[in-house]
Amino acid sequence: MTSPATNRSFVRLSGVGHRYDPDPQVPPAVTAIDLDIRRHEFVAVVGPSGCGKSTLLRMISGLLTPSEGEVSVFGKQVDGPRDDIGIVFQKPTLLPWLTVRKNVLFPLKHKFGRYSQQDEKRADDLLAMAGLASFAGKMPDELSGGMQQRVGIVRALLLNPDILLMDEPFSALDAMTREQIGFDLLKIWEDNPKTVLFITHSIAEAVLLADRVLVMSKRPGTILEVLDVDLPRPRTSHTISEPRFGQLTERLRKHIYEPEAA
Amino acid sequence: MSPKLPDGKAGQLVLMSAPWLFFIALIVLWELVCRIFELPAYVLPAPSAITAAFFEVEMSRWFTHLWATLRVALMGFAVSIAIALPIAIAMMRSELLNRTLYPLLVVIQSTPVVAVAPLIIVLMGSDDPSRVLITCLLTFFPLVVSTATGINETPPELIELSRSLDAPTRRETWQIRIPYAIPHIFSGLRVAITLAIIGAVVAEFVAAEEGLGYFIQFSTSFFRIPQAFAGLFFLAVVSLLLFKSVQWAQQLFFPWSLPKKKR
Repeated sequence: MTSPATNRSFVRLSGVGHRYDPDPQVPPAVTAIDLDIRRHEFVAVVGPSGCGKSTLLRMISGLLTPSEGEVSVFGKQVDGPRDDIGIVFQKPTLLPWLTVRKNVLFPLKHKFGRYSQQDEKRADDLLAMAGLASFAGKMPDELSGGMQQRVGIVRALLLNPDILLMDEPFSALDAMTREQIGFDLLKIWEDNPKTVLFITHSIAEAVLLADRVLVMSKRPGTILEVLDVDLPRPRTSHTISEPRFGQLTERLRKHIYEPEAA
Repeated sequence: MSPKLPDGKAGQLVLMSAPWLFFIALIVLWELVCRIFELPAYVLPAPSAITAAFFEVEMSRWFTHLWATLRVALMGFAVSIAIALPIAIAMMRSELLNRTLYPLLVVIQSTPVVAVAPLIIVLMGSDDPSRVLITCLLTFFPLVVSTATGINETPPELIELSRSLDAPTRRETWQIRIPYAIPHIFSGLRVAITLAIIGAVVAEFVAAEEGLGYFIQFSTSFFRIPQAFAGLFFLAVVSLLLFKSVQWAQQLFFPWSLPKKKR
């Protein structure tokens, strides 16, 4: 189904940048980004607040048109919202009037106005995979924050997208829930491989989850450094205690806090 | 610091009965003041006199008046909902419409309805349509504002989700924005239902042959003050029941839109 060429670079950004303010005195939010993401690769993006991480994500999703350069997915230029992309937001943003199952089915209901029994079965299977089978009939506010965010991930997977874009998805959760949900995500990702772009503030989280970590600079945001994470998979809580994990996070810290020295 | 609440079952009982006990105490105090100072009924009738006056009026007459007021209030309320919701949605969809209509709505809202009511009666006659219009003028604005506020408070992530699915705007409105506005719409409805009663009474004050407002005015002009008070209390109870009905409707049909402990 896929040609070798597109398999190597599934998502390609060439010279991509975006400015919200047309005034040339104001630096652009993001500039000169060149990036190739392989199919089913897990890429994490870290960087200071306001460095344009979310702008980058929105340009890949097609929600935002870059003012310079070009984004292409599967060799085709992105010129509008694409339905083969699932987005997970910082907050779970579930609809409070729908049950968990109906929230998961919402993308179908919203896009096509209906869904089939097969779709319902798929929703239940996805919920079971995320360990939420017994919560399908509950209302969102009966779930903990971590469970709600897992529902948000399951919802993003419903249309079986090729690409999963995650915008600081775990930042609203407490530290222990956060670590656990990270492992849950890895398991989901290993069972249904996707190309993932994962934005985070946490260096440790980036190293623990990703194949590659991109470090972005302050505004105007651009890629300072790309770090290959050569930790073996599957990653578990033992990964964190490996010396290699410490070395990698240390290197990333250096890039972020003293970019000149690195 | 939040006020300290009594603990335990007994405390709960005190909390539940406190407003009723207070109300009863007020009535008793009122009765005592009237008797001790021998206040004449045209100054302040005693609760016992008001109760007696209530039962002197035939029940069928009460219901005729009640129905006249309720009919106008509920029609005005319904018409107001039917107009206000589409306008709020249209204003949310189009900035041009928003800018064009909003100042007009503010002008309508800031014009005292009591002053306009006689003009409306002169223009449209003293029938139900003019009374319904007067009621609408009062109830319309809070409904538009609360609906528009609710629609605009939809989390931007959900709008992005809708856009990323490339869904039709119609579904964005019906499946995301309007349900999100439900709690706000209901707070507007609660304000509007009490205003609807006020609107109906104002209309009756200007020109009417029946209705609770008319009854109060008529009783006052014949110095039947206890009877006027009886009408007033009846009106207040009806108004309260309507207000409660809106709350019950929300609990029944949209329980998710209420804080957990109120479901």
